[in-house]
Amino acid sequence: MEIKEVFKPKAIEEAIKLLDHYQEASKIIAGGTDLIISIREGKEPAPVIIDVSSIGEIKEINEIDEWIEIGAGTTFTNITEAAILQGRYQGLIDAAASVGSPQIRNAATIGGNICNASPAADFIPPLLALDSLLIIQSTDQIREVKLEDFLRDKGKVALSSNEILTKVKFKKLNKGQGLGFNKLGLRKALAISRICTAVYLEVSEDSKCNEMRIANGSLGRYGLREKAVEDYFKGRALTDDTIRIGGGLLKDEVNSRLQGRSSAEFKREAVDGVFTVALTKAIENCSHRKGDLI
Amino acid sequence: MKKRGIGYASTFYGTGYGNGFPDISRAIAELGKDGNVYIYVGATEVGQGAKTILSQIAAEALGIDFSKITFICEDTSITPDAGTAAASRQTYNTGNAIKLAAEELKREIMNVASEELNVNTTNIQEYLKKIADIKGDKVIRKDGIFTASTTEMDVETGQGNPYYPYTFSVYGVEVEVDTSTGIVEVLRAACGQDVGRAINPKLIEGQIDGGFSMGLGYAIMEDLNVENGKIKHDRFTSYLIPTALDMPDIDKIIVEDPESTGPYGAKGIGEPVLIAVAPAILNAIYNAVGVRMTEVPVTPEKLLKALREKERGA
Repeated sequence: MEIKEVFKPKAIEEAIKLLDHYQEASKIIAGGTDLIISIREGKEPAPVIIDVSSIGEIKEINEIDEWIEIGAGTTFTNITEAAILQGRYQGLIDAAASVGSPQIRNAATIGGNICNASPAADFIPPLLALDSLLIIQSTDQIREVKLEDFLRDKGKVALSSNEILTKVKFKKLNKGQGLGFNKLGLRKALAISRICTAVYLEVSEDSKCNEMRIANGSLGRYGLREKAVEDYFKGRALTDDTIRIGGGLLKDEVNSRLQGRSSAEFKREAVDGVFTVALTKAIENCSHRKGDLI
Repeated sequence: MKKRGIGYASTFYGTGYGNGFPDISRAIAELGKDGNVYIYVGATEVGQGAKTILSQIAAEALGIDFSKITFICEDTSITPDAGTAAASRQTYNTGNAIKLAAEELKREIMNVASEELNVNTTNIQEYLKKIADIKGDKVIRKDGIFTASTTEMDVETGQGNPYYPYTFSVYGVEVEVDTSTGIVEVLRAACGQDVGRAINPKLIEGQIDGGFSMGLGYAIMEDLNVENGKIKHDRFTSYLIPTALDMPDIDKIIVEDPESTGPYGAKGIGEPVLIAVAPAILNAIYNAVGVRMTEVPVTPEKLLKALREKERGA
């Protein structure tokens, strides 16, 4: 489809008015690292493009009460440079740093990564592990939805044609809480993840797992939580033995989920190694001092 | 678990088209009206540094500054055929043709200097403009033709002299294999490369880096994934080549043993710097984890499968 019109609103209000007017005929562009490719391939049906890259409100990262809020227009480079995310949220920074190349990270936004809902989206697993909420706006309302409920299928999200994702938010991490991330790509840059895993961990003062949330990418039709494995760890000490058993459970989960796919044999084996590193990083990030669990 | 291993591989490689295929390079050296020397040659610069090295050879043969050479290539309307930028042949073959043309030109310039200016010298640089002015429209122009030595192999015995000369190369590589994911990381490498004579050592180092990255991709990444005759990995998001971040530091050892038939002893190294990389990496993988991989690329998928099979067998 030929592009007929391009709008460049400066405020969310303007953008949602345009969306309301054009509905399915319009498509939002931010960094364009996915959209430009599909336009060039002639796969993009919308003749109207709404460029949100000049809307300042959706590019901020803020601490508000007990929440961290990240604007959907934040680029991966912005994430890697955010002082507020250093330390306990290192998993978010690692995930952002693993996306594409510097050129892609300078342009691509987290909102695009979420709304395109690729099974291999690197930023979705850490946000799932943080139990993130999305803030979505239209002319009628502002609504909140859990990221987990927003993802419907490969490339499909619960977003109406008159809505725009403006922010992602999650609870601030405190003492004993941390996020780890690890990715298996086939090279060190510009690699689409074959597996990516994020682990949110809360440890008690006696080094037991109070809570764990594990989310994987590239192991299903979209980013998924691994609740069976999370349940196993809850209340247990994190030892070599429990990590091995937990990794084994994850292998079984992945094996049954990918049954019949050519990649199953590799991914069910490799996920264990990828998860173990993500968990080890989560343990490290729970503390500002390495080796000190609390 | 991460396991490290070291592997070596060596190669000798015949440069030029070989096996009796006619291998001829032509060049023209001309003293332009502006007093610069123009080299016309059909050699193609594809990033390997042909323009630089071939200009250096011309400057050396004439005994003049590099800045006095104007190099003209890749224009078939004004340049003679120098064959393809392939078979690692431009430095050796076309370098020889340029050297011959430049030497002829120098002789003629010396003759003119002697006859017209009464100057007998091999140091011609300061007389170039004067001689160009004397010659006016009748510019001095000399051809150089070099024909490589190659004969077809005897079909009965397989014997003959298919290539000349040969270039020798050795790689040593250290890898780290993650036995839980099958990922292979190349940590460091060393390359010992016979070059005959290093016309331009920096460009040889560049060729070694380039050759290594190709060998690295060939060994562990580049997979066409052909199914029923169709290439499934038909773009660079799926057909992976190494990035700068995947490259290790390479210790480059340039071995100079001048080749008597080469221009100032130089030989071609374009392909030789690539050939031993993949076998060295596969040997290093074997040294690290005891698995002998016999198919490239050694993707994490294939290596992890082989590792699990070995564990089950043990």
